[in-house]
Amino acid sequence: MADPGSVLPVTVPAPSAEQRGPARWRDPAVALLAVAVAVVLLLIGLAIAGYAPTDVASTWLSGALGSGVRRALSLQEAGPLLMTGLAVAIAFRAGALNIGGEGQFLLGSVAMIACGTAFRIPGPAWFATIVALTAGALAGAAWAGLAWALERWRGVPLVLSTILLNFIAVYAVSLLVHGVLQDPLTVAPQTAEIPEGMRLPVLATGSKLHLGVAFAAALAVALWLVFERTVFGFELGVVGMNPSAARLAGMPVARRRFEAMLLSGGVAGLGGAFQQAGVTYYMSDSSASYGYAGVAVALLGRLHPLGVAAAAVFFGMLDTGSRNLERVMDVPHDLGDVAKGLAVLAVLVAAAVFFRQARVEAS
Amino acid sequence: MIRLEGIGKSFASARALDDVTVEFAASSVHGLLGENGAGKSTLMNVLFGLLRADTGSIVIDGKPARIASPADARAHGIGMVHQHFTLVPTLSVVDNLALAAQAGLGQVPRPAWRARLRALAEPLGWRIDPDVRCGELAVGEQQRVEIVKALAVGGRALILDEPTAVLTPSEALELFSALRGLTARGTAVVFISHKLAEVEAICDRVTILRRGRVVHAGPLAGLTRERMTELMVGAPVETVRKPPTRLAGEMVVEARALTVAGRGVEAAVGDATFMVRAGEIVGVAGVEGNGQRELVRALLGLERPRTGELMVAGAALHRGEVPDRARLGIIPDDRRHEALVLPLSVTRNLLLGEHRRKPFAIAGWLRFSRWRARAAELAGAYDVRAASLGQPVSSLSGGNQQKVVVARELHGGPRLVVAVNPTRGLDIGATAFVMSRLVQARELGAAVLLVHSDLDELLGIADRVLVMCAGRLVDSGWPVAGRDAVARLMMSVDASTHAATGEPAHG
Repeated sequence: MADPGSVLPVTVPAPSAEQRGPARWRDPAVALLAVAVAVVLLLIGLAIAGYAPTDVASTWLSGALGSGVRRALSLQEAGPLLMTGLAVAIAFRAGALNIGGEGQFLLGSVAMIACGTAFRIPGPAWFATIVALTAGALAGAAWAGLAWALERWRGVPLVLSTILLNFIAVYAVSLLVHGVLQDPLTVAPQTAEIPEGMRLPVLATGSKLHLGVAFAAALAVALWLVFERTVFGFELGVVGMNPSAARLAGMPVARRRFEAMLLSGGVAGLGGAFQQAGVTYYMSDSSASYGYAGVAVALLGRLHPLGVAAAAVFFGMLDTGSRNLERVMDVPHDLGDVAKGLAVLAVLVAAAVFFRQARVEAS
Repeated sequence: MIRLEGIGKSFASARALDDVTVEFAASSVHGLLGENGAGKSTLMNVLFGLLRADTGSIVIDGKPARIASPADARAHGIGMVHQHFTLVPTLSVVDNLALAAQAGLGQVPRPAWRARLRALAEPLGWRIDPDVRCGELAVGEQQRVEIVKALAVGGRALILDEPTAVLTPSEALELFSALRGLTARGTAVVFISHKLAEVEAICDRVTILRRGRVVHAGPLAGLTRERMTELMVGAPVETVRKPPTRLAGEMVVEARALTVAGRGVEAAVGDATFMVRAGEIVGVAGVEGNGQRELVRALLGLERPRTGELMVAGAALHRGEVPDRARLGIIPDDRRHEALVLPLSVTRNLLLGEHRRKPFAIAGWLRFSRWRARAAELAGAYDVRAASLGQPVSSLSGGNQQKVVVARELHGGPRLVVAVNPTRGLDIGATAFVMSRLVQARELGAAVLLVHSDLDELLGIADRVLVMCAGRLVDSGWPVAGRDAVARLMMSVDASTHAATGEPAHG
C-alpha cells in the first residue's frame, strides 16, 4: 500500500491534544497565516486590475456577513462542503486517498431523490426522510466500498479508482435524470421535487440553512472526539501515518482502511442527501462539484475536524461574498474559486516548508 | 591539510557543535569518534556543505575556503560516502559516475569515464565492470562504486560514514587495504565509526567528540579501547556479560523445510529448518540481503511461506496475522519505518500495541492519564532520555528511539523475541544497553532470535549461531566451532551469486 505522503502533499497531523502550550497552536496558526497571505495576494492582484482593495474587501465582507440572512446563506453554503470535507479527512487520516467524494455525494443525492419521488415509503413523512437519508449514506458508502474492493482484490490504487468512479457516478446520474427519475411533467432533464413533508426544517428564514448543517457541525465535533480520544480514532491515525508499524503493532490495517472508506463514503453520501432534502429538492444533470471542493476544504483544514469546519465556513463565505462582489462591483464571481485555490495552495506550501524544517531539525 | 576552526552550530533545540577545531592531514586516516548526537555527522555535514555553520571557518592548505554546498566541497576535492548509498540502481556504474560529477549524460563521452573509472579503481586493487547496472551489484561492490565516485572529484579528502556496517569481515579488510593505498597517494581519509577494533586497525589519528566538543585529539598510539570508550561516553562502560548457557526449554519456534518467495523467481529463503527454544538466544549471522528479511517476515506472519511448516508458540501461522502480539517482542530492522510512528509522542509510541488493553482503554475510549503513568514508568526503567514524554518521538536521538522500542517490546515478558540488527546506528552505551536487555529477556525465559549483521556483537551473546547465505540457513556449530568458521560460512557463496538472489542493497 502506498505511503500517502508520496502521492499527495498530505501529512497526517499529530493529535493536537498531545502538545501543550504554544506548540498546540502552531498548526492552526501556520494555516491562518497562509490564508491571510493568500487573501493579501489576491487583493494586490485586484488592485493591479483596477479595483480598490478596500472596496473589494468591504463589499465582499458585507456580502458574506452583512446581515442575518447573509450569514445564514454563508453557513448554508458551508454545509455540503463540511460534509464532503469531513469525508475526505476521515479517509486521508487512515491513509486512504479517497478523491471520490464527488461520486459518493452524487449517489447520496440520487438516493434521496429516488426515495422522495420514485418510491413510496410507507409511514409518516419524517420516517420517510430518515429512510431516505440512510439510503443516501449507504449509497455513498457502497460507492466508496467498491473503490476499496478494487484496491484490495485487484490492486487498483484508490486515488485512481475513486476519481474514475466519479465519472461513472456523474453519467449514471445523468442517465437517471434523463430516464426513470425524470419529472414526467417537463421535458427538461431534471427530476420532480421531493414532497414537502420530506424536506428538512429551515433554521433561519430567508435562507435554506437547514437542520443538516447543524448535524454536520455536530459531526465535526464528534469526529474530533473520535480521532483524539478513542481506540478506533487512534488506530486510524497510526494506520495512516505508518502502516508498517501499525501492522507490526497488531492493528488490523486493511480493516481500518475499509472502515475509514465506508465511513468517508457514508458521510459524503449523507451530505448529498442533506443537500437535496434541505436546499435543492430536485436534481438536474449538472453538479455543483461539492465533492471535489471537499478535498480542498479538508486540506485547508489540515485534516482536523474543527479545522475542516473552519475551512468550510470560509469557503461558504467566499461563495456568498463573491456573488455580492459580482452584483455590486462587476467582479466575476469566479474570483471566489480563485481565492479558494490560492488559500489551499498557500496552506500546502506553508505546511511543506514548515514540516521540512522540522524534519531537518529532527535529523 | 584541511582545518575546521572554531565551528559552532545550533539547532532550534540544542547546541550540536561548540567551538570545534579539527585538522585532517593529507596521507593519513583520521578516526572521528563519538556517541550518537556527539556532533560527528553535523561536523561532516558542515565540511561537505550540507549544513552551514553558525560560527567558525574552514581552511584548506592555509587558505580560507567557503563551502556552502556539496558542489563547493567537491570543487575542493572533498568526497563523502554516506551510510545510505546514493547510487541510481537502474543506471550503469559509468553513468552513475558521470551523474555524480554533474556532467550530464550525453555531454561526457562514456569511454572517457570508463578510463577514469579504471584509473581510480585499479590502484586500489579493484576491478569494477563499468557497464553493469548498480542495482545488480552486491553491497560491498556498491560501496566501491561510491568510493570511486567520491574520489572522482579530486581525492583531496574522503569522508566515510560508518563504511563497514554493510560489509563482511573480509570485505572490511579489503576496504582497509584500499584506504591504505589512498593515503599513500596523499588523500586524507576521515573514518567515522563506532567499532573501536576497526579504528585501531586503520586510523593514524583520532578525534573524539562528546556533546559537541572535542574531548580528545591526537595519534592513535597510546590510546586503549577502554580509554577511547571512556572519552566518548564520559564514564567507564561495563561490557555485556552473558550468563552461562542453561538447558534450553520448550520449543517456541519450529520451522521445517521453510521456503519463502523473494522478489524475483528465485526463493529468498530455501528449505530452512530450525528451531528456537525458550531460554536461548539463537543468532542468525550473514551479510545483509541473503534472505534474512524474508525469513523474519514469514516468522512474523507478514508473508505466507511458499512451502514448509512454521509453528510459532504452538500455533501454525496464517498470512497477514501477527502471532499473539501480546507475547511477542519485535525489534525490527528499521525502527523509523517499522517500529515507531515518528510524528506521535514518546508516550503514544511506548503504548503502541498495548493501547487497546485495560486499563489503557476502557470500552473503546483511551485513558491518557494511565498512558502517561505507564510511559513514565517505562521511560525510567529503560533509561529513555527525553525532555518531555509528550514530544514527538522523531525528536529523540537514535539510541533513545531504540530504547523506546526495546522498552515497549520487552517489558511485558515476551515468550518470543525477534530482533533484527537491533544496534544499528547506535553508540557504544546504547548498544551495550540493548544487548544486555536481550540477555535479560533470555534469563526471563524468552526464546530470542537475533538476526544481526555485526558478527562480533552477535557472537557476544548468542547461544547458537545459524548462518544465512544466499537463502540457505546452516548451523555454524558455534560455539564449538570458532569465529573464523562462522565468518567463512558467511561467504560460502561468492558475491556475484548472492547479488542474484534478488535483494538489492538497502541501507
